Amino acid sequence: MRNTWLIIKREYLQRVRTRSFLVLTLLLPAIMTVSMALPAKIATIGQKAEHLVLVTSTREFGEQLRQQLLAQPLSQEADESDSESAQKKTEDLYTIDVDSNPTDSERAALRQRINTRDIDDYLWLTDGAIAVHDVSWNGREMPSGREKAWLSDTLGRIVLQQQLSKKGVSAAQADELLKPVKVDSFRVEGMRETKSNGTARILEIVVMIMLIYMAVLFYGISVMRSVLEEKNSRIMEVLLSSATSTELMAGKILGVGAVGLTQIVVWIVMAGVVALPSLAMQPKLSNLMVSPLVFACFAIFFLLGYLLYSTIYAAIGAVTTTEQEGQQMQFLGVIPLVLSVFMLTPVIRTPDSTAMVWMSLIPFFAPILMFGRIVVQTPPLWQILSSVVLLIGTEALLLVLCARIYRIGVLIYGKRATLPEVLKWLKYAKAQGFRSSVTRPYA
Amino acid sequence: MNLIETLVLPSSSLLTQNTSIDLVQLSNISKNYDEFVAVDHLSLSIPPGGIYGLLGANGAGKTSTIRMIIGMIVPDSGQIYVFGQPLSRAHLSCFGYLPEERGLYKKMKVSEHLVFLGQLKGMSRSDADASSRRWCERFELTTWMGKKVEELSRGMQQKVQFIGAVLHDPKVIIMDEPFSGLDPANSVVLKDAFLELAKNGKTILFSTHRMDQAERLCQSICLINHGKAVLQGELGQIKARYGKLSVQIRYEGESSFLHQPKLVQSFNDYGNYVEVRLAPGADAQELLQLAASKARLSKFELMEPSLEEIFLDVVGKSNA
Repeated sequence: MRNTWLIIKREYLQRVRTRSFLVLTLLLPAIMTVSMALPAKIATIGQKAEHLVLVTSTREFGEQLRQQLLAQPLSQEADESDSESAQKKTEDLYTIDVDSNPTDSERAALRQRINTRDIDDYLWLTDGAIAVHDVSWNGREMPSGREKAWLSDTLGRIVLQQQLSKKGVSAAQADELLKPVKVDSFRVEGMRETKSNGTARILEIVVMIMLIYMAVLFYGISVMRSVLEEKNSRIMEVLLSSATSTELMAGKILGVGAVGLTQIVVWIVMAGVVALPSLAMQPKLSNLMVSPLVFACFAIFFLLGYLLYSTIYAAIGAVTTTEQEGQQMQFLGVIPLVLSVFMLTPVIRTPDSTAMVWMSLIPFFAPILMFGRIVVQTPPLWQILSSVVLLIGTEALLLVLCARIYRIGVLIYGKRATLPEVLKWLKYAKAQGFRSSVTRPYA
Repeated sequence: MNLIETLVLPSSSLLTQNTSIDLVQLSNISKNYDEFVAVDHLSLSIPPGGIYGLLGANGAGKTSTIRMIIGMIVPDSGQIYVFGQPLSRAHLSCFGYLPEERGLYKKMKVSEHLVFLGQLKGMSRSDADASSRRWCERFELTTWMGKKVEELSRGMQQKVQFIGAVLHDPKVIIMDEPFSGLDPANSVVLKDAFLELAKNGKTILFSTHRMDQAERLCQSICLINHGKAVLQGELGQIKARYGKLSVQIRYEGESSFLHQPKLVQSFNDYGNYVEVRLAPGADAQELLQLAASKARLSKFELMEPSLEEIFLDVVGKSNA
């Protein structure tokens, strides 16, 4: 116990004191923020407004449609939580012309203009076409669902307005009648209901799961590299004359894990300090706040996930002899993590489908999938608990097996151990005394 | 020989007479790696106090033996006793170990590193600190204690490594090829440290493939070949057993006198002189007369056989 504690302390202090730790801890949030915001910004730089031509039977109808289209904010989630400034005005995104000459020759001319890139799309909206519900959006690129909805909503409203005015309803009354009903979404967690919207939810999932994924991978690989370093610098032999290999492995995993935890806590505090003033000013933003349950689960699944994967990485470090070999073997730990990130989309869509329930119970996927399900929609408690129990059980088993591999592997220098060799170590190590090895020292 | 032997030998030979208090005893231990037999039914006893040499060619099984003594690997069969009890974890803190391949944490400060190693051996922080200061002073490393290990020269790093092995004041110091890779100046420093530790009642076990070193330092040796002990005991007794069958000759001129099977069993030409092993029953005077008649002699000395000669003789026989 004392030895493990000494090793944890050394590992922790040596890592935390380095300049790279300080830089990483302070700069990573900045880099992350920039790298998340930058692609969207870059995409809009130099983005030209899309040039649409509305082909209508009368100029009057065309103009009316044009104005209403431009007045309509073009956003899926025109929620109050999205700040005004972030939303681009529709007129910045589109240039709309009206063409009241719906002839075949005009259509050909418009096609020609699209080909010469003079315009981007023409919309065929003659009275006849509207009457038979056969309007069309013609362009080089297909309109998005959002654009189609934008057009059909606006068009439908104008048609209704026209029909209502024919029946003697005034424009003001018609507006009143046609006012859309806004739907708010609330999330139920226990007895609490929080106003919430899908976008924020997905952002929350992505940020937290990426944090788990990246931290588990990053610190797991740190453990592997650190084991390799101790092997290659031969300090391992000196340590083994004082401590057991299990103490060394446990100390390393926990020490590196404590560094990771420190880093994450620093980031959460930083995020809190940055976010609090704006939260105070805009109470609505509190919708974005993570609930205590999710927070606790984040801590649990991060820690268990880290322990599971870093144990695997410690064993990989022990059976390999160089950094290059280690990198080749890394896939063993990376694949389950990547797979679980791939399965995130189905989890977000159908968090309680049978397949997802079973998948999220598999210990190697649980840190990401079960946690993802908890964020999307709190699953039944028994599922959370069984995934935690399964994770702990697997971890305990893996710890015993990897300690055996570790015990023998760390004394091997010459070449990477083959799978049959590793299997033999597992068998031999069982029968041995307080410390053991069946290997040639410099094979 | 030199001062050291006359100083240390009497006390250690006194102690070795009482075999019941052997510090470390290996009883019939074997270790196989797959088909390869690293250690083959080896038994040896290390008496307390003095310097014990584990000798053998490269690959003879020295490192495996040492690793079993400190419990890093477990023998396939046989038993290891420390102070008469079977080896257990509790014994680890009585050992100071310097592996053949040396290594330190490069980014750690020398003082922190030594304290860490001391604490792992069960010392308190302050004891480890005080002891590392004392040792650094002795090795003139005090000004380097605040520096990172990687800033030190190789020689200084080796001193730090040595301090790491002895700072917890172990009863037994076990070093695997401690002199390999040391420059002459550092070899002398290490040799002096060995002698001082031995004088203070510590037991030093070291392995080497260099017979001349063992010959100068050890009171007792065990010579291992292919995992088997082929020769062991007190150096003085071993040499006496071989008798003065060796002649060192420096000459100019014809060398045909060396090729007389009746007189010369074998010879080893070192360039400056030739070491001749006399044939059994041969008279050294006869060889002197023959040699003098053939060549100009500047030296003709009857002497104890060197350990190297004994080694070659014994290993040659056991390999034959």
